Amino acid sequence: MQPVLVLLLDDDADFLELERKIFQSRGYEVSGHHDPPSALAALADHARQGRRILIVCDLMMKALDSGFTFARTVKGDPRFRDIPVIIVSAIASQKGFDFHPRTPEDLAGMNADAFFDKPVQPQALLAAAEKLLAGGTPAGASPAGGMPA
Amino acid sequence: MSASAPQRILVVDDELGVREGCRKILSAEGYDVITAGDGKAGLEQFLERGPFSVLLVDLQMPRMSGLELMREIRARDEDIVCIIITAHATIDTAIEGTRQGAYSFIPKPFTPDELLLAIKNGLEKRALTLASKHLLAEREKRLLELASERSKSNTIISCMTDGILVVNLEKLVVLRNDAAARILPQCASREIPFPLAELADGDVREILQLIIDSPGGPMILSREIALGKGTFMVNASPVIEPDGETSGAVAVFSDVTALKKLETAKSMFVSMVAHEVKSPLAATEGWLNLILSGMLEKNPQEERHMIERSLLRVRTLRGMVNELLNLTAIQTGNFTLKRTPVELGEVLKDAVGAYAERAAEKKITVAVCGEPGPRVLADREALSIVFTNLVENAIKYGKEGGRVTVQAGRSGIYAVVSVKDDGIGMSAADREKVFEEFYRARNELTASIPGTGLGLSLVKRLTELHQGTVTVESTLGEGSVFTVSLPLMQG
Repeated sequence: MQPVLVLLLDDDADFLELERKIFQSRGYEVSGHHDPPSALAALADHARQGRRILIVCDLMMKALDSGFTFARTVKGDPRFRDIPVIIVSAIASQKGFDFHPRTPEDLAGMNADAFFDKPVQPQALLAAAEKLLAGGTPAGASPAGGMPA
Repeated sequence: MSASAPQRILVVDDELGVREGCRKILSAEGYDVITAGDGKAGLEQFLERGPFSVLLVDLQMPRMSGLELMREIRARDEDIVCIIITAHATIDTAIEGTRQGAYSFIPKPFTPDELLLAIKNGLEKRALTLASKHLLAEREKRLLELASERSKSNTIISCMTDGILVVNLEKLVVLRNDAAARILPQCASREIPFPLAELADGDVREILQLIIDSPGGPMILSREIALGKGTFMVNASPVIEPDGETSGAVAVFSDVTALKKLETAKSMFVSMVAHEVKSPLAATEGWLNLILSGMLEKNPQEERHMIERSLLRVRTLRGMVNELLNLTAIQTGNFTLKRTPVELGEVLKDAVGAYAERAAEKKITVAVCGEPGPRVLADREALSIVFTNLVENAIKYGKEGGRVTVQAGRSGIYAVVSVKDDGIGMSAADREKVFEEFYRARNELTASIPGTGLGLSLVKRLTELHQGTVTVESTLGEGSVFTVSLPLMQG
């Protein structure tokens, strides 16, 4: 069976490489991207081939809300809507806004299945990924409920 | 009128006996007496030696009659007491004399007591008249002062840049100045007084009502209220009369729009800094977590790579803190330039030398050309920051195996240095913002290049501190040229 493809989107080269190493250490195949257009292109490509995919995406506030827009695009597209999305961000609270989701509804509003504050503990990230891929809600998906941040 | 000065009396009579008799009697009583033999002489004396308190005048005299003299004198001094001495007292002359302003008549012949009594009465009447005139003048002066005081405070109130609104206990707006009319435009068209309830802004209404409805004890309510396009600090307090009673409420509107903007800019800057600090810290922590997690196979080379990546982020962070400190120092005016004659060629050589290794890693050829030594009066340290930043950027964003050219020259009164690379370049949109704090062009090509987003803002500020300019020309994919102009040293 083909391994799950983890699609990473982050404009910080270190996080991209870090997350790549974390997922590769568990045998996932990783496709890393700096910007939403290239991530979307890769997504369409892999989805066409019927790959199982998991998305880990940064909010990338530097390019405005491109992380949110990306997640919305994914969840709004019938081809991708079942792909789990994990949002990882260093800016849970920024410019007076608090992005930290507190309820499952918040999470759904962000078009995300899980949310982590950077830096993520590697084991926590992997655990969440496995849960989501198994079709369940990750331990921390009720985000207030001790999702390691 | 001084009490010690003797009262002066002018006696005009063509009869020498009467004149001298009067002089004797009156002088003995301490009066100052001047005499004249007819109306004309009397007028001359009056004009030369006046003023007098009393005019004692005979009616029938040569040259000018007593009545004529009275008319002339009273036209010049209406307070003089005129007493007619006459041997022919008739009803007609009495009427005419009174009409001319005579105070009393003394029929000839008269006794000294009769004369003194008439004088004394006349002087008393004069004193009363003068006192009442004085009082009247005082009162008028006061009224005038009051009126001008009033108009002065009205002028001051209407000229104030702070808006003022006064409401009485019946909750009627009884005063608003021009600034208040500008701040609350619906107020401008209303005739004063009008009900407070009809004021459009609810917040303003509320705090004034609160003040009026809270009797007892002075209190001040302050509220920040958005009005129109601005933000105002509105301070409302009761109007307390001298007797301690409250007669209404006054609200003062101070424009704090600029302050609010500054506050917002400041907190945005702080949150931007916080974010910029958090990212490298989070990346470093991420690397260290990964190394310590034991998830990866033991591989010393790999571990070393991860530690180096962390180190790079920590160094960037330290560089950013240094740049922030410099920027803050410039902004608060604490960055003092130690100006000395500096040869630009030397600074450029040092800047290029500092990045020789980095250039070699990317196989970039760095050439310093043009005139070696335009001299500027500058802070060498600051110039070094300017040019190392530009050279560093040229190498960082330069093309692998490319070329960086540093050129020095002159243009008019300026020394001009350009730093040119043939690297990734930038879009017009990036070019506009490249000198802004924390701005970094974000794209696939720049994603892996570490930077603080502060270097070029520091370059710009330092150049401007030297009365210089920095500009950029760039085309995406073709490279960038940064040009710094600094005033040449005179002589």
